[in-house]
Formats: sequence, C-alpha cells, structure tokens
Amino acid sequence: MIHSFFGGVYPATRKGNTRRKPLSRLSQPPKEIVIPLIMCADGPSTPMVSPGDSVTVGQPVARRGETGAAAHSSVSGRVAAIEKRPHPWGGLSSAIVIHNDDRNELYQGRLAPLDPRQLTLEQLVERVEAAGVVGMGGGCFPTWEKLARSAGKIDTLIINAAECEPYVTADYRLLLERGEHILRCAQVLAVHLGCERVVVVTEGDKLSAVEAVERRLRRLHRVRVQIIAIRTRYPLGAEKQIIQTVTGREVPPGGSPLHVKCAVFNVATVFAIHDALFQGWPLTHRAVTVTGGAVTRPRNLWVPIGTPLRSLLEACGGLREASDRMLTGGPMMGVALQNLDAPVTKDTNSLVCLTDWEHKPETPAGVCIRCGKCVAACPMHLPPTFIRRALEEHDVEKLAKYHLEDCNSCGCCSFICPAQIPLVEAVSLARAVLRREGVGK
Amino acid sequence: MSGRFAPKRLSPQLRQPSTTRAMMLDMMVALTPTLGMAVFFFGSRVLALCAVSIVSCLLFELLYRRLTRQSITLGDLSACVTGLLLALSLPASAPYWVPVMGAAFAIIVVKQFYGGLGKNFMNPALTGRMLAGTLPMLMTNWTVPLHRMSLTSVDAVSAATPMSYLHEGTLPPQGLDLMLLGQRGGCMGEVSAFMLLLGLGYLLLRRVISFRIPGAYLGTVALFALFSAPSGVSPLVWTAYQLMGGGLLMGAIFFATDPTTSPVTPRGQIMFGVGCGLFTLLLRSSSPYPEGVGWAILTMNCMVWLLDRLGLPRRFGMGNFAVTQAFLAQMHTSLSTIQFVRPTLNFQRPTSKEGQAPGEAWLDLLRSAGKTAGPFAGVLAVTCLTIFAVHRLTDLDTARAGFQAQREILSQAMPLATVGAETPYHAAGALSITAGYDEDGNLLGYCVQVQSQGFGGPVTLAVGVDLNGAVTGVSIVSHNETDRVGTAAMTPEALTRYVGRSGTIRVSGPNSVDTVAGATATSKAITAGVNRALNIVANLDTKEEVNYEDSQ
Repeated sequence: MIHSFFGGVYPATRKGNTRRKPLSRLSQPPKEIVIPLIMCADGPSTPMVSPGDSVTVGQPVARRGETGAAAHSSVSGRVAAIEKRPHPWGGLSSAIVIHNDDRNELYQGRLAPLDPRQLTLEQLVERVEAAGVVGMGGGCFPTWEKLARSAGKIDTLIINAAECEPYVTADYRLLLERGEHILRCAQVLAVHLGCERVVVVTEGDKLSAVEAVERRLRRLHRVRVQIIAIRTRYPLGAEKQIIQTVTGREVPPGGSPLHVKCAVFNVATVFAIHDALFQGWPLTHRAVTVTGGAVTRPRNLWVPIGTPLRSLLEACGGLREASDRMLTGGPMMGVALQNLDAPVTKDTNSLVCLTDWEHKPETPAGVCIRCGKCVAACPMHLPPTFIRRALEEHDVEKLAKYHLEDCNSCGCCSFICPAQIPLVEAVSLARAVLRREGVGK
Repeated sequence: MSGRFAPKRLSPQLRQPSTTRAMMLDMMVALTPTLGMAVFFFGSRVLALCAVSIVSCLLFELLYRRLTRQSITLGDLSACVTGLLLALSLPASAPYWVPVMGAAFAIIVVKQFYGGLGKNFMNPALTGRMLAGTLPMLMTNWTVPLHRMSLTSVDAVSAATPMSYLHEGTLPPQGLDLMLLGQRGGCMGEVSAFMLLLGLGYLLLRRVISFRIPGAYLGTVALFALFSAPSGVSPLVWTAYQLMGGGLLMGAIFFATDPTTSPVTPRGQIMFGVGCGLFTLLLRSSSPYPEGVGWAILTMNCMVWLLDRLGLPRRFGMGNFAVTQAFLAQMHTSLSTIQFVRPTLNFQRPTSKEGQAPGEAWLDLLRSAGKTAGPFAGVLAVTCLTIFAVHRLTDLDTARAGFQAQREILSQAMPLATVGAETPYHAAGALSITAGYDEDGNLLGYCVQVQSQGFGGPVTLAVGVDLNGAVTGVSIVSHNETDRVGTAAMTPEALTRYVGRSGTIRVSGPNSVDTVAGATATSKAITAGVNRALNIVANLDTKEEVNYEDSQ
C-alpha cells in the first residue's frame, strides 16, 4: 500500500531537456581539479598529500580525521597546491588542487573487490568509509555511520530515486543505465541491514526507468526489491516525506528515520556503495545534469569529482542566453552559485542555469491575503503565514508554539505564495530570533 | 561571461506563476458565465448595474486610499471582484443607488477601515449586499426571468423565489432542469446553478480555491436536506432543490471561499464550511426568512479567528493521540494557573477632617459611592426598562395564545358562531359575556363565563346561550377537580346533555340532567353554573344605555 504525505507543490518539472540524454563522459578532461576538504556534513577532512606529490586515479588524497570523509583523486597528475578555493555552498574553503596530466594512471594500491557471499557488516562499513561515500542526494551525511547505526534496527530500506527537484535528471539516468548494479547493491544492503523490505521510489514522470528496473527485477530471482512510482509532487524526495509515502510512518520531531525503522539512501549513493564493494573503486565520479534554458546543449554528464563547474558548462556548449541565476542542486532547494570556479562536490547533482523567462520576475512582496495556500502546501504541517505574522509582531512566545525546528526549508510556502512573500526566509529568520531570545527550549 | 553572481533570492528560485492579481482575475473570469446568464435573463440592465457597482467600488477605494495617503491598490483588482459580486447578488430590479451605497459600505467601512486587502474580517461584497437587504422593498422584489428590463425604468414583475416555496415545505413550480438553467426568481447571479458550477470548476482547475469550503458547505446542506425532506417528496429531489434554490451555490462558491475572510488552515476551512452549512440550515428552517446563506457566511466570518486556532495542522511526526495528550496537558497547566483570589475588601471608617461637621465624612463617602454606583444603576435601570418594554411590546405570542384559547372556548360553547365579540354588559356572577355572531354578522347568542363551587374548588365554565334562551354548549375553562373522578362529569358526552335545555335545569325530575355517577358534586356544580348562565342571559338588559365604565 502506498501512503501519501500532506501538502507539497507541483512545479513545472521541465525534465524534457535532458531526459533522453545518456550519461556521457567529458570529451575534454579538466585541466585541473579542485577537491574541497569540506565534503561531508560533519566537517573538514584532513589532507594526506602535500603540494608537489604526484597522484593517480583513485588515490586517497584526504582522510577522515576527527571529522570529514576520505577523498580520492579523480585524475592522475600532480598536486599543485592546497589553498582556499570557492566552494559551491558559498564562500571559500581549503581545497586540494590537482593538475591533470591526462594519463589516467590507475592507483596501484586499489582495494580488492569483495565477494558478496562472504561479506560481513564490518567489512561493508569499513569499505564504505574507505571509499569516502557520503549522502549524494544533497545531505552529505556520512554513509558508513548511517549503515552502522541502522544495521539490525530497520525493517524498510528506501532507495530514493524520486528526484523531485525540477530540471534534474541525473538520478533518473543513473537508475535507467545502472539499474542492475543498484538493485544488486540494494539487495546486499538489505541482507546486511536485516530488513525485509527494499523499496526503490521514483516519480511518475520516470516510468521508463521503472520499466527498466522491473525488467531486471524479473531476471533476478528471489529479490525482495520493489519499485514504486509515485505521482510527481515536490518534495517527495525529502527524507521524512519519502518515509511517510512508503510506510505511512512519520519521523517524530527531532528524531531520525531510525525511530520509525527506516533508512533512506539516495540512488547515487547506492551506486557508489556498489562500486566501492564489488569493483573496489572509491567515489571519484558522479552523475551531474547540466541544464536550464540558458545552456546550449543540456546534457547528463559522468564527471570526475572536483571538476570546476565552468568546464561542465563548456562541455555543454556554454551559455546561449544570459543567465542571471546559476544553481547547484536544483532550483527548489539549490544554492545560487557565487562563482563558476566552484567544483563538483560529492553532492552536486546538477548545474542549472536559468534564464529570466524561466523564473518569475522579481516583484516586491505584496500583502498577505490569507489564502492559506502556504499552510496547505507545507509538508511539515507548519503554518508559515502565522509564523510570519508572529515574527512581524515580534511575538516570541507565539513563535515558540509553532514548532519552527520542524521546518526543512523545502520552500513550498515561498513557491506557492501568490503575494510572493519570502516565507522560507521568514521562517528561518524566526528560527534565528527564537534561538537568540532563548524561548522555546 | 562573468564568473561572479550575487544570489538575488534565497531558495526556491522558482515560483508558481500565479499572483494575487491573477487570482482576482480568475475570480472575474469564473463569474463571467453567471454574468452572461444574468444578462440573458434580465436584460442589459444587469450590465449597467455591474458597471455602476464596479466603478463605485474602484472610486471609493481610490478615494479612501488617496485621502489617507496610502498606496493606491486598485491594481490588485480586488475592488473589481467586490463590485462584481455585490452587483450579482442584487435583484435585477434594484435601483442604481443601491450598489453605490453597498459599495461605499463594503469598501470603506468593511474593507479599508480594517486596513485594506487581507485585513478585513467580513466579506465586503456580502456585507454590502446584506446592508442593501435590510431595505425591505428591495429584496422581496424578485424579477421574473426572461422579463428583460430596460436600462432606465423598472417595471418589475415580482416572482416568488424557489426558496419561499421550500420554506413552506413544498416544491417550487419549476422543474429541476429549469432550476439548473436558472429560469426562476432570484438575484442576478444566483439563478443559474449550472453557470455557477462552471465557475466552480474553473476556479478549482486554476487552483484559485480549494474544494474544502464549498465541498464542506454544500455537503453539510445536502446531508441534512436528505433527512429533512417533507413527506411525499423524494429526498433526492428535495436535496437538489435545497442545493440549487436560493443563493447557496453562489455563497458557497464565491462568498464563503473569499480567502481573506475564511480560515487559513485546511482543517479550519472544513470546519468553516460545515459551520456555514449548519447556520444556513438553521436559518432556512427556523427563521421567518426563506434564505439564510448570507447571514450564515457572515456569522462564520466572525468565527474565523477561532477556526484558525482550532484547525492548526497537527505537528509532523506526532500521532493524533500524542497531540491530544499534549493539548490536554497544556490545558491542564493553563487551568491550574487559575487561582481564586480573595477580593480584598478594606473598608475604612471615614475620619472627619478638621472643620467638618461630625457626620459630613460619612456623607462624603455616600456621595462618592453614589457617583460610582449611580451610572451603573442608571444603566441597569434603563436596560431593565428597555427589556421590559420590548417584552411588553413584542409579547404577541402570549396575546395570540390567549385569543386562540378564547376562540376555542367559543367554538365549544357555541359551535355555530364564528366570531366572538366582547360585550360591554355586566351582570352579577358572570366573569365575562361574549356575543357570538355567525359569518354574516347575525347575533346568535351570548357566551357567558361563570364560576360555581365544585368538589375541589371553583369550576369556571363558559356556557353558550342562544337568543331563545336555550343552551348551545358548555365548555370547562378551568377546574380543580380530581382527575378521573370529578372529570367524569366534564367529558364531551356529559356536557352535550345540556345542549338545548332552557329554563332551570334540575338534578332530578322534569327538565333534569342526571348527575354523573361518582362525580356528583362536580355535576351539580356544572348544572348550577349552567343555570346561572341561563339566568344571566334571560335577565340581560340589552336595551339599557350601555355604560362603558368599568363598574366592577
């Protein structure tokens, strides 16, 4: 039985630009790659190389110290510098800069592929950590921790291929082209995490991927993987909403998916785990969609992590129109880029260059007419318009009653507001006010 | 290509294409079929009324915003929607000053005094219309459809609306098909159910409104109409008439869904719809007016603040049980903070100041207390007087009941008489003497109320005596006799034995009415009463100069 989540919005998906474009490699490898040390939600990694060292493809260049994840070189060449470089999340961060020598020498000390039949949980967690796999859907949460924590405590494993962000098709292409690997890996994960049910969740506009996966499922015997396609609605791909849709359970406030016996992995993460386990390849490449009305030839690319976004854009023929908004991570929750020199990180699933006809022209916020669309759209059951009003009145006690900490900044309220009131900003501002005033603990 | 961008806006970078202005425009588009149908039915006067209404709404808004030096908000088109809705909810025969007056009230008092768009708590168009509805000659003059009026003269042919038939518990003469098309009496906009539903479909498709309010509203009305159909009428047909008759569809689709004056929260919207439905049913069934949609919506508009709080979405991740528990716990803590605080009464004896007489301090105290309590007492007295006066003036029900009782007694005592009239005659022993007339105004006789002593106390009875001195009927007005013992003598059979008798009725012997066994005392009392009445009528001196002074 498929459940549903409350609220949500229906943005125009505009995935047609790249839906039929297979994942292709860059014809012109990047001259230099930049691997930021901040690539994991919990903090920076520790570099293992120093300027002047020569590196090969797949060679670890950073490791997990106190925080962070392992990073590997995605090209062969020489480490040029470890210096501050722009980061796609904004600002500068330390990064390892590697000059490409175009020889693509493979790393000799590569990890050996593991036999799925003799795999143990400890091996799995260790290998995933060594391969530097983090949540590739945008969370950048350390995957090995999630695996270790949820082993034996979950009954449903959800492979998130929903990709509810408009424009982005990277996960769709990955599921379509590498479905077999993903399914096999999902199967192995299910065995080791001890869950009965594995669900691959896609949206209704990705039926050809569903068909491809079902064909493979029929060939694989005795699998417990199930694929469901759900009517496209943003934000289906958000963790809490996808759990609610698949199982009908709601993650309690302040809780994690473990509280409802679920674990959610992005489909790209599962593919990276597959490569790490059965090929011995660390996470060095990922699928990125370069799209948007301003891009000359929108494509899905299979790119080395660390490639500057500028190279991606050049591989797609550059801009054909002026773009005033370039984003990574999709137009709904994505971050507007400050600099095109920022590299592809482990969570960069897209580069979207919007022209001014694709988004609504910026108009000053109007007055709230109390239409209630934001309340009906909020998947986290918040009343954004009341929050905004309480913020305007500086009524901190009232703000404390609205459970602001539940907001996942999905942006449905701002999207739907006919008066174009920036409600997400109001809610995050209200959270800041509440934290400062110290009420609501 | 520059390498630097400044993010202009935080996420989301995409916005849905609709704006407030587009929503208002969609409302106008959704009203267009209704407007077209109204023009078809009532002629071009409809267009003129709409134009007057819209223009005056725009003008009043412009005027107010100008005078108060606020930004000009004509561009959001909300005043246009108000004007169009106001015009369409008037009858086609309304004079041109009515929409102007309604627009002034709607825009200035209801909308702008509260701060303009999004701040008002009552629907401006509906309030303007209800104000016009308080003028009685306006809102009872429903025009017959297809009787198209000229722009200037109003020669309205009044038609009864279907609601007035339904109010009486009968079906209107129009068939359901005509109701759907709108060939019936009513406001300009409300007649054609089909066109209104077309508008609803458009609004839903464009996601301007959600189905929650109209669905809950119409659903509630339909549900209760199904069970309240009068006998002999199919419940389904009755429901269809209830839904399509009157302004229900227009109210549910265009007035109740006004975003500003309906709740924000989805649950609140459903409660709002149900509340509108219940109030509509209440007003339709038990108010003297056939229609109650407008008042129902206005009443619920005033409750929106409450529904907004009640309807807040449950917190994500909390089950209904946990939420209820948390709510109860919170209520318990709020209730436990309520404490009874003893009022501090510190009465100080006034101390006389220097140069005052010994009792003067007390007088001062009395004076100050009087100053405090005086206005209160005055207000109390005026209120009591007003309530008493209103009660006396409006105590028609009691008077009507008394009149009914009198007629009942007359019809028992004098079955032939249809009209009873108080006579100025007085006689010893008679409580009142009423003259009975037939339909043509001929005097038939007199009905005398007398009292006689029964077993348990006085028995008051009315005795009808015709002009020949014969009893036409006996009716017991009040008594204190024992139930089923004394009352055996008061059965209709026992009382009819007196009919036709004249002279002095005895208990035995000639011209006698036997006592009823077991109720001897009561029988004797009734017989005595009848005798006294006969005696009074026989000695009634009708020739004498009538003395209107109450000599008793």
